[in-house]
Amino acid sequence: MNGPEHAIVVEDLVRTFKSFMSGSPEKVAVGGISFEVKKGEIFGILGPNGAGKTTTIKMLSGLLTPTSGKAMVLGMDVSDEKSVRSLRRRINIVAGGERGLYYRLSGRQNLEFFSDLYGIPKKEQKTLINGLLELVDLADAAEVKVENYSRGMKQRIHIARALINSPEILYLDEPTIGLDPEISRGIRGLVRKLSDGGATVILTTHYMFEAEELCDHMIIVSHGKVVGRGTVIEIKDSIADVSCIKVVTEADPAVAVAALRAEGLEAGVDALLNGRFVTKFAARKGDDALGSYEGLFAPFRVKSIGIEEPTLEDAYLTLVGGDAE
Amino acid sequence: MNHRAVVAGFKQQKIQFFSDPQWIIPSLVSPFLFTMVMLFLYGDDVDGPIVLQAVLGGGVLGMWANTLFASSFTISYDRMNGTLESIMVAPSSIYSILIGRSLWSTAIGLVNAVVVFVIAEVMFDADLTLANPVLFFVMLILTLFSLASVGMLIATAFIRTRMGRVLSTIAEYPIYVLSGALVPITVLPEGLRVFSYVLAPAWGIDAVKRAAIDGCESMFGVSMAVDVALLLALSSLLLAVAYVVTRRVERRMLETGSATRY
Repeated sequence: MNGPEHAIVVEDLVRTFKSFMSGSPEKVAVGGISFEVKKGEIFGILGPNGAGKTTTIKMLSGLLTPTSGKAMVLGMDVSDEKSVRSLRRRINIVAGGERGLYYRLSGRQNLEFFSDLYGIPKKEQKTLINGLLELVDLADAAEVKVENYSRGMKQRIHIARALINSPEILYLDEPTIGLDPEISRGIRGLVRKLSDGGATVILTTHYMFEAEELCDHMIIVSHGKVVGRGTVIEIKDSIADVSCIKVVTEADPAVAVAALRAEGLEAGVDALLNGRFVTKFAARKGDDALGSYEGLFAPFRVKSIGIEEPTLEDAYLTLVGGDAE
Repeated sequence: MNHRAVVAGFKQQKIQFFSDPQWIIPSLVSPFLFTMVMLFLYGDDVDGPIVLQAVLGGGVLGMWANTLFASSFTISYDRMNGTLESIMVAPSSIYSILIGRSLWSTAIGLVNAVVVFVIAEVMFDADLTLANPVLFFVMLILTLFSLASVGMLIATAFIRTRMGRVLSTIAEYPIYVLSGALVPITVLPEGLRVFSYVLAPAWGIDAVKRAAIDGCESMFGVSMAVDVALLLALSSLLLAVAYVVTRRVERRMLETGSATRY
């Protein structure tokens, strides 16, 4: 599977952490995952909190040594210290959140500092930094100290920092977390632009619409294991034996929802629409689904009940089961 | 070692220094207080060699406080900001960045020395005539280098811990005593003096005092050349150990994933 068309090949990768409590078992953050990422694609790693997304990205970027298994990034083994040193010139990472910048330095000074660490030639530095500031729409705020930046500006300067070495692979760990919709859209546009420019992008996210909009391929991880993989369509198809049922009721169907959950179905009241309750859940096909569930919801005055095309979110919730948040 | 990363570390520390008011405390307030205490201790005897010795001691204390603060602060600050991971993912070694930051602290150490002399001259009207000004300046630079090398070792040892700033307060006083800056090494118990012998700045302070004060005897009973040779040898050894410690600590952090913890 490890061909020149692959940017990343992961085989049975494991990462455990020692427990601080003596006698407690080791915590398995990543429990033997395997996947491949083609060069130039946007690859999504989806999963609930604690599923192992960030741990996987850290291992692939050389920030964390794998416990076992193998991960080849641009043909280099991330378990080998010498390979990791070479790899660092060719990759970069954006961690989610506001940390990771020197707050007392301006946006430009931050970029200058990191460009020095990457050995960017002095004569290229100014043009490169100006270009990056334009790209992330921060040219006007270049001389402002980062401590005065908004959260969105900090995230954009983070991305500019991570592009300082024109990485062949860019890891984005929840890049739009906590950002308003307009800025998030801008960042998604930027990610698409980077991919169009030839970079391979590995994206972790909680947001299904983001993954659906951006990712060429993805894996869904839960408890450190891959529980789903493929394109958006393939992942939706992977729950082909499941019907996504939508029920609209006039009264709160909390008792019915509890009964579904007791059966092991991932059900929840999604929205309150015009004073009505919209409940969605996935049920196995071929059980005369609608008939039996209509009876369950009848006490709550059913206005409508029907089967919908599964969304990526439906597939995600079905695959991760009760682990999703 | 990567010279671009050294320069980057130096520049970053410089910008940080001028934009963060807290640096005034170790670089200006501390030496001022140390010198004041020393000069008050020696009271009216402002013309004798003892007062010069006191001023030199105060200067070294200030320089060490500054070096130690910078060394412990540097990585704690990266941990706090989450920048430790950002610099670890870059191809330059943390060691090079720390060298650059230490060089800035060394430069500020010189400012300390000037501040101490100005305070003594202006406020206490002390006679601070130097026996050999050129030699004194050279020895002062070498002493700063030795302090910076101790600071480097401390900084690298603190990379892994979240308690760097707390531990630095423990490391502060022993150097004051063992280096001979506060009191001559000759008054220390024999067993304690062994630690002074392996402390590079102690040899620098011995040389600085001898270059400043006419007829000053060596604390160790050696020639100036031996002072310099041991200072250079011990400082180089400290830097080499710091390099090895950095590599080991960095490797350990990759194994434990502790770079982001604060």
